[in-house]
Order: sequence, then structure tokens, then C-alpha cells
Amino acid sequence: MSEALLTGAPRVTARGAGRMTGAVHAEWTKLRTLHSTWWLLLGIVLCTVGVGALTTGSLSAGDCLARRTCDEDTVKLSLTGVWVGQAAMAVFGVLAVTAEYGTGTMRVTLAAIPSRLRVLAAKAVVVAGLAAVVGAVSVLGSLYLGRVLVLDAGFTAEAGYPPIGLGDGATLRAVVGGVLYYVLVALLGVGLGAALRDTAGTLTGVFLLLYGFPLVAAMLSDPDWEKTAKRLSPTEAGLSVLATRNLEALPIGPWAGLGVAASWAVGVLVVGWAVLKGRDA
Amino acid sequence: MDSIDGTVQVRGLRKRFGSVTALDGLSFTVTPGQVTGFVGPNGAGKSTTMRIMLGLDSADAGEALIGGRAYHALRTPLHEVGAMLDASAVHPSRRGRDHLLWLAHSHRIPVRRVDEVLEQVGLASAGRRRAGGYSLGMRQRLGIASALLGDPPVLLFDEPVNGLDPEGIRWIRGFLRSLAREGRTVLVSSHLMSELEDSADHLVVVGRGRVIADTSVRELLATASGDRVSLRTDARTEAMTVLAAAGATVASTGRDTLTVSGPSAEKVVQLLSGAGVPFSEISAHRATLEEAYMELTGDVLEFAAAPVDEEDAR
Repeated sequence: MSEALLTGAPRVTARGAGRMTGAVHAEWTKLRTLHSTWWLLLGIVLCTVGVGALTTGSLSAGDCLARRTCDEDTVKLSLTGVWVGQAAMAVFGVLAVTAEYGTGTMRVTLAAIPSRLRVLAAKAVVVAGLAAVVGAVSVLGSLYLGRVLVLDAGFTAEAGYPPIGLGDGATLRAVVGGVLYYVLVALLGVGLGAALRDTAGTLTGVFLLLYGFPLVAAMLSDPDWEKTAKRLSPTEAGLSVLATRNLEALPIGPWAGLGVAASWAVGVLVVGWAVLKGRDA
Repeated sequence: MDSIDGTVQVRGLRKRFGSVTALDGLSFTVTPGQVTGFVGPNGAGKSTTMRIMLGLDSADAGEALIGGRAYHALRTPLHEVGAMLDASAVHPSRRGRDHLLWLAHSHRIPVRRVDEVLEQVGLASAGRRRAGGYSLGMRQRLGIASALLGDPPVLLFDEPVNGLDPEGIRWIRGFLRSLAREGRTVLVSSHLMSELEDSADHLVVVGRGRVIADTSVRELLATASGDRVSLRTDARTEAMTVLAAAGATVASTGRDTLTVSGPSAEKVVQLLSGAGVPFSEISAHRATLEEAYMELTGDVLEFAAAPVDEEDAR
């Protein structure tokens, strides 16, 4: 072969970690260069903060000024929007994978990066990173608005409600947990997308997982079964991490609940990886 | 430069999709420095073979090796194999240049190389437009640009001519030839032999998942038995007698038309004039690659149409 042949592209021989960096960079460029990514991420913030503000804005301390008679969890209420925003977050994670199958670019991706594990890991890293940033903006934004609105609603220090602030351990747990929950939902989307490949099918699956469980739990008449269903639900268990009061009324402890959501995300990612590795692209 | 061996070897590939056998023990070798045409009817297994070469599909048996190594073992695949399997495999909302950019980032290829290949395929001005607005020809060019990105010694193109306008077809033929002249291995698939007539040096003809012919274009043409002379005459019987006496094979193809195999057109004219047999029209017909190919694949067509009477077809 002639010497002149390979002069066009200076090649950096990437090894080990270098190849993973390249894969992550490629995934980041893929997401960055689609307008839909940024609209979707903006949608997540607006959904979370908007729904949170609606909830706290419509509150009224009204007839429960005495602390013992009314024990509202103002932090959790401020973060109600996570219930809605998680849908958009799941869509974000799902599309990061299924859009590649829909457009046929998955084959281009896998030809450039033959290691299926590296492709899935790179997608997970980039999606998780963006989800963490957007989750933090959403959660902190909701909490800031909530802090103002619950005061307006009468949940004052005199009524037994200290102002919402990150100095409080339980509140900090809710914030960190809420951000992590968003990351886990996005990863759930990535894993399910890799397993199912089809956008419509994956979205149906992820919504059933996120919202179907609580619906089924609510329909179970046996309280033990209901509690078990809630403990297993990625949403019910996972969002218990947002609670700052009445922890004993939760189906599962805050961190344990987040652990359930994490198990779902990891489990689905492993299934997605197995399918990606085992099936023809 | 690393000593990258650009030879592509396919050994005993087998692949089944359910009850359909896509590849049935396919073996051939593609060598550097020439354009190899990979031809066969639709469904012959060309695309499946290329997907296996790129490690996208797994073979039930056999292997495809690039420079002696499986695709999965390549450390920097874009620098070793450039491929365009499907020109439409671009996200329509992404700009053409950005499509190349993420590919470049996966291999830490500098950004200026992206602009170089865009320039090379004639897309420099369209690079900042969204790929969804590209014509088929522009998508083919973008696909080729992505294959060239890593400046690889091996290039695989699946039906690159499909859907191109005549100008685009001429461009791509010249381009394939120039890539081969640079010493690269160039494998181009097509279901139409005529598309490869002016660009391929070597041909691998497949049908029903098997190699039917692995030969140079020149050899294939030489073996084709298509040379013949068509003749229109009112004195059919006399003409047949004269020509048959001279050792030609004559067939009557119509009320006043004959097809003569054996002698050249000049010889036919000479024979008929010498015998005083009148004729009104004579034309020589050289075997084309397409005919040679049809002869080869005639009995292995996967989805053959019912035969049409030749008279009706004309």
C-alpha cells in the first residue's frame, strides 16, 4: 500500500480509557446537535417547577394553624412536579436510544464503536450527566418557588413550619434524592430503549412501569398487597426519598426506596445490554 | 504508517433468518487496489454479508476478516474500514456536518478532517443544512464522506449508485476508481450489473447466499455467449440456407427476422451479398456484462418473474 494513502487523517491511537472518552464525546455531540434535546430538557424543568408551583400555590394553611392538627410536608409538596416531570425525563432517556434505531444510525454507531458495552455505557454517562444537571435545576427551582409560596399559604415558622432551606438534613436528602431519582428514570429509559428498540413500544413500557404500578397498587384491596406493590414500584418507592416528615407512614424508607428505583434502572440496563449484545443490530 | 493489510476475507459464512437461508457457505476474498463488484439479485445476501463484515450481524458459521482480524478486534475501526450501508441512516434533524462530527469525535479525528471530506464529496456548502432536507444523492455523498472520515484502506459501499441521477452516477464511478488507484480495497454491492460495468475490475456474483462466480470483468465477458447478428430479410429461407452452409447457427426470431451466431456482421453481409440474398437491415450485438450476468444468475433468481415470451417483450 502506498505511503500517500493514509496522510489525510492524522490518527491518534486511542487505547482503553481513550476509546471510552471518544465514545462519550460522540454521544454528547449526538445529543447536543439535536434541537429536540434542548426543548425536551427545558420541558422537564418547566413541568417540574410549574406543577410544583401549582401545588404549593393552591395550598392554604387555613384551619390547620396549630401544628398538631395538620402536618403538611411542604418540601415534598414543593416537589410534586417530579411526578409529572419524570415522564419527560423518561422520554429523554428513551429517545437517546430508540431514535438511533428509528433513523438507522445505530448501525453507524456500532460500526464506529464495535463494543456494545461501550456504546451503552457512553449513552448512559451522557444521559445521566444531562439528567443530573437538569434534575438539579428542576428540584432547586421547585424548592425555591415552594419556599416563597408556602409562606404565602400560611405555613410560617409560627405555625410550626420553619422556612424551607438546604440546612435541614431531611430537605437536603429530598433534594439530592430527587436529582438522583431523575437520573435513574432517564437511565431506565435508556435501558428499556436498548431492550425494545422501538420508540412507541418503549414509551408505552416505561410509562406503564412509572405510572402503572401506582395505579395497580391503588386498586388492590388487600393492604398488605398494596404495600408490597408500592414497595416494588419504581415511582412509589423511589419518590419516598422526597419525604421530610411522617416517614413512618411511607411504604419504604427514603434511601431504601431510592434503592428500589436504582435496582430497576440497573436491572433494565443489564437487560438492554444483553439484548444489544445478543441481537443483530 | 501502520502496515494495515486491506485484504477482506470471507470464509464459509452461513446465516439463517428463521426458515430463510440468507447465506449458504459464502467464501471470497477482496483484494486491495481494485474495485470489486459484489453483485447478485435482491435477496442474494449481499447486505447481510456486509453487515457481518462490520460486526453488526453475527454469522451462524464462518467468519469475515479485515486484514486477518475480526471487526470486533479492530481498535480504531474507522481508520481501518469505511462503510456506507444505508445512505438514509442519518438523523433528519441533525445537520450533515454534525453527523460527521460525532463520528469524528468517536475516534478523536480532528474537526478539520470533517470539512475536508465534506469538500471531497462536494457537500461543503450543504454541510450546515439539516440532513432531512437532503436529496437522495446528497445523502449518498454524506454516507461516502462518513466512510472516508478515518481515511481507511478498506471501503465497503452497499448500493451506492441506487437512486442517483446520471451526473451522480458518473461522479461515483470515477470516485470509486480513484479510491482503488490509491491502493485501497473497494467493495461495491449492486443488484444491477450495468451499474458496475464501467467501474468494477473484479466481480463476486452471488445468488441465494452462494458465490456463483468470482472472476475478473474481462474473463466474464469473454465467457459470455452473447455475440450475435440480427438480420431482417424477406428471403428468410434462402438466407438461412446460405448462412448455415457457412457454419453459422441461425435462429428464426420472427416472420422476417433472423438471429445469427458465429460469423461477424461483416462476414454475414459478405455471405448474403455473394449469394445474392436480399436483406434490409443488419445489426451486430455484443454481449454485455448484464447478459453475462443474466446467464449466470438466470437459474438462481430468488424472486424470478414468470418468463415472458420474447416476442411480447419487444
